[in-house]
Amino acid sequence: MRVGIEVGGTFTDLVAVDGSRVEVVKVPSTPASPDKGAFASLAAAGLDPAVVTDLVHGSTVATNAILERKGARVAFVTTRGFRDILFFQRHDRRNIYDLRYAKPLPPVRRKDCFEVTERLDSAGAVVTALDEAEVVSALVPALKAGGYEAVAICLLSAYTSPVHEARLRQLISAGLPGLRVACSHDIAREFREFERASTTVLSAYVQPVIDGYLDRFEATLAAAGFKGAFSVMQSNGGRMPAAAMRKNSIAALFSGPAAGVVGAIRQAERSGRKNLITFDMGGTSTDVCLVVDGVPSVSPETEVDGLPIRTPVLDIVSVGAGGGSLVWIDDGGMLRVGPRSAGAMPGPACYGRGGTEPTVTDAHLVRGTIRPEAFLGGTMHLDPDKAHKAFEPIARQLGLSVRDAAAAAIRLAVANIVRAIQLVSTERGHDPRGYALLPFGGAGPLLAAEIAEELGITEILVPPNPGVISALGLLSADYVKVSGVTRRTGLGDAAPHMLADEFGRFRKDAEAEFRQLGLNGELDFDLTADMRFVGQAFEIPVPVDTAALSRLGASDLAADFDAAHRRIYFHGGEPGRKVEIVSLRFGVRRRLETLPEFRERPAQLAGPGSIEVWTPAGAIKAKLVDAASIAAGQSVDGGALVEGYSSTLWLPPAWRAARDKAGNLIVSRISA
Amino acid sequence: MSVPVETLDPVDYAVISQSLIAAAREMGAKLIRSAYSTVLREARDGSAALLDDGGNTIAQAELIPMQLGTIGQVFQPALALYPKETLSEGDFFVMNDPYSGGQHLQDVFFFHPIFFEGKVLGFSASVAHHLDISGGDPGLNTAATDVYSEGFIIPPVKLNMARDWHGGAFQRILRANVRVPHQTMGDFDAQVAANAIGAARIVELAERYGVNKLKAVMAALLDYSETRMRAAIGEVPDGVYYGEDAIDDDGITDAPLPVKAKVTVKGDSIEIDFAGTAPQVRRNLNAPFAATISAALSCVKGVLTSPDIPFNAGAARPITVKAPKGSLLNPHHPAPVRARMEASFRAWNAVMKALSVAVPDKVIACGYDTTTVGVLSQLGDNGWSVYLEIFGGGYGAAIDSDGCDAVDSPLSNCSNTPIEALDQDFPFFRVIEYAMTQDSCGVGQSRGGLGFLRRYEILKEGVRFSLYSDRFKRAPEGLFGGGAGTTGYCEIKRRGEIIPLKSKDAVDLLPGDIVTLAVGGGGGFGDPSKRSAERLREDQADGIISADRAASWASSKIAAE
Repeated sequence: MRVGIEVGGTFTDLVAVDGSRVEVVKVPSTPASPDKGAFASLAAAGLDPAVVTDLVHGSTVATNAILERKGARVAFVTTRGFRDILFFQRHDRRNIYDLRYAKPLPPVRRKDCFEVTERLDSAGAVVTALDEAEVVSALVPALKAGGYEAVAICLLSAYTSPVHEARLRQLISAGLPGLRVACSHDIAREFREFERASTTVLSAYVQPVIDGYLDRFEATLAAAGFKGAFSVMQSNGGRMPAAAMRKNSIAALFSGPAAGVVGAIRQAERSGRKNLITFDMGGTSTDVCLVVDGVPSVSPETEVDGLPIRTPVLDIVSVGAGGGSLVWIDDGGMLRVGPRSAGAMPGPACYGRGGTEPTVTDAHLVRGTIRPEAFLGGTMHLDPDKAHKAFEPIARQLGLSVRDAAAAAIRLAVANIVRAIQLVSTERGHDPRGYALLPFGGAGPLLAAEIAEELGITEILVPPNPGVISALGLLSADYVKVSGVTRRTGLGDAAPHMLADEFGRFRKDAEAEFRQLGLNGELDFDLTADMRFVGQAFEIPVPVDTAALSRLGASDLAADFDAAHRRIYFHGGEPGRKVEIVSLRFGVRRRLETLPEFRERPAQLAGPGSIEVWTPAGAIKAKLVDAASIAAGQSVDGGALVEGYSSTLWLPPAWRAARDKAGNLIVSRISA
Repeated sequence: MSVPVETLDPVDYAVISQSLIAAAREMGAKLIRSAYSTVLREARDGSAALLDDGGNTIAQAELIPMQLGTIGQVFQPALALYPKETLSEGDFFVMNDPYSGGQHLQDVFFFHPIFFEGKVLGFSASVAHHLDISGGDPGLNTAATDVYSEGFIIPPVKLNMARDWHGGAFQRILRANVRVPHQTMGDFDAQVAANAIGAARIVELAERYGVNKLKAVMAALLDYSETRMRAAIGEVPDGVYYGEDAIDDDGITDAPLPVKAKVTVKGDSIEIDFAGTAPQVRRNLNAPFAATISAALSCVKGVLTSPDIPFNAGAARPITVKAPKGSLLNPHHPAPVRARMEASFRAWNAVMKALSVAVPDKVIACGYDTTTVGVLSQLGDNGWSVYLEIFGGGYGAAIDSDGCDAVDSPLSNCSNTPIEALDQDFPFFRVIEYAMTQDSCGVGQSRGGLGFLRRYEILKEGVRFSLYSDRFKRAPEGLFGGGAGTTGYCEIKRRGEIIPLKSKDAVDLLPGDIVTLAVGGGGGFGDPSKRSAERLREDQADGIISADRAASWASSKIAAE
């Protein structure tokens, strides 16, 4: 039995597969101790941990530790003269007119920042030797007196040579045995000191929290007789054995959205679809990702609470447009949706928990695309009158009927998501019309057809149980490790050799590490060179074919880079404009041998019947269809509401949904 | 012809408006990300905007407040010379002349007409601060006595991409006149690309929604910003309010240069008159009128409105700005203007102080509020190498929040350059310290933001240093009982000797010299005795204030100025 458990803010989702057996469960999350919800989901699915062979877990524990500032007590150590780099940050403001601007708050205070005498130059040569006597006589006692749980070291130019950081760690560990020490060259070996320092400090900050959580989780599992493999999801879209996360907790941030993308890709692969735009619409936001040839876009950095983290993550763009997003009119008379959300409390007006402001969910209820009896598989009753009432003031102000005001709100929510999709597609040089749209999350399939129409997308793929795709992504994720290194090299004849050398080194280390973790079998490697024109500050990632590395020439790299630059920036190289490689990114992956089968969980909703839906063409009768009742080879024509356990698909007139052999609904326009 | 606003579908209106704003944002993001010079790529000293066919700014990328106020005004002289009906595909305008609507020569504007179905639908615009645009010294000529000695002057001219740019005459003339062509010409290309992206997005919108609807939304978006700006002004009590601040000196004599603002609020409009401000000066501190307008508008927007109001030509309609011709804030041609930010900041401070009488809860105290530009340059075998960085200081405090520490000043928003990037790019100097300055914050119920310093060690022969700054003599004032912030300074340590520099200065350096450039902290707000003991303790523990300062905090009086 393979099991994925994804702990989200509101719900904990479980997907379990074993041959033809598929279990899908949603239970309320337990934010105070998320592992309780996780074990509750196992119980709700009737699963004995002793029969689970492979358990993959994703949670918001790391992210929440930062957001709530509940991480470890960390000391920061850097080069003399630069104690304040975490507080300077980049000397800019996110909101340029805000007179009361406050910078994002680092997880350490200024009094927890220390300096050591040392300096390297950009080639790694020693300018000022590390003052070891000073470390022993001043730094170590100060760290001891401060009662820190962890130390984060980021010295200038450590990306080019770890010599001083490594020695400093030795000295600290000798003086304070047992104290956790994180070095920037281990965590993010790339130039730009603030971003590297921020990553290192955040890593040190969350590591003890993750360790404690995993300790507890593993102990509970062991007590229940669990003997399988236990892995944890990462933000790069792969999993790693829990043991490996004891060194690399920062990779666990934002694993939930990444798991969703992986689940979507896996499920689409079964239907032979590899070019996808995924969108995950939940209660407060929508996450969008572009997938080219089965590979999701990757961003070299992300941020949490405004603080940069230099670690490769799936390039997921989030917009404040979810089911709970508020619909409002601003003081200039413009209709707006989000980014404020009604959240879980009070939630949309129709929840009847005291909310009076209208939300996107209320708009669906008013126009008829959510059926009050069928929400969340019928487990939660909604009040249509409250939704209607909530839209009245807006309707009055716009001079529209309540149904038209709700329809306007839906169109605006669609536009917000369309803009996010354009950000990951059009703005990066990809035409969305060449992609299939893959909606998931509780609210995704409700808007998919309208979003596709806006973008000129002709095919939508709706997976089974769209509300638990993240949990599916967990148990279908490969084992993945990524790392990066800054190796600034002009694009001449030496560059391909440098690439081959660095890649060979990574490959050797990765093979040893995976073997040590018991991950045997064939490993796949990938290599990306971050390149730019000499003088630029931002790099463009250019994938390098590792199989062709031995015959790769500098001119091949230059041509690939120039094409990528033109696609994004509308201009490229001129004669004499030199190109350089700045950093390299490596990935190693051990693929799963078999992917799980996945099918709709029967929702046992009432049906058949119909519901009135308000469309641009007026009111129509839409069929009610139980998603589980559409067998492979069968199809349904719109207008129809296709209701499932975790989500509902709105199929407007002129659209058809056909179940394929992989269990997915292929949604397309009915040709005239 | 055009669709009246009343009949615009509210969703079309909202969607197209947001798309226009998104297009401007994309232009700005790509301008920065494909740039070459540190001043554009790291300091992000550039902006981008979309204009309607009459040259009104519709939407802008929010990068640098100073450049945002007046792109439309800069554009007007070009449109007057070259009416839109006379333009062909591939044409574009370039200008940088401060006496034709520009601000200083380093800010070069590019405008590209956007054609749809053979007609001009609007213009995409970008402006970038260029590292070097000729003139008497690399990057910054502090000795300039007129605009001619500050750089290469480009009046509004119409050019054609095919004929004049890609290897064409104008591009070659430009290249021949800049000291760092690899960076500067790359930055110009980034501007051209940003404009092409803006044009592509506008054409997509026209195809999707039709020209008439798009034009109607452009007009409505101007009205929308105007409505929201008027609503905000309407909440300010009517009256005539006065504020005053001053620049240290003109770089030649020691006399301060006063900047005075008279702010008249009447109903939903504001008039700002800078009568009484010092006459223009012989050095580069003069602010061309476009800069003065930008400063005044930015202050009003920052104090009165929520940040989500698109800053376009509509937002400027309720605000009138006047400055006497021949004054520091509206100089006669050809007065030098390179360091126009200092006068602009004092105009911003003067308006802020005037508004503090009307809306005390919304304003902030004076911060360091100065643009400090430091330039290190070296002529080597491969031509000039020019490092330029822009520094802010501490922000002024507000009634309910401390001033931000060590951040760029309000009219600007430049990032620092990573030390590790400097180590890679500039072998002739090394940054050896970058630290915030203890006790540089003004006391008060809320404290000012901290100032900071940078120390550079000079490693090679033939290095030159120039700077301009202000508030080396006059510290930023506190507000409502809050104490003053601190002054800045610059000095060179040479073989044990300290050589102080003026706030506007240029010198040749020797290997081994240590240059220290320090900017001050911001003023405090409110009675210092009302600050909680806990916050004083925390600031002391963090080294933001010393034990002495913590002990004397409550009894501190406003420093005598």
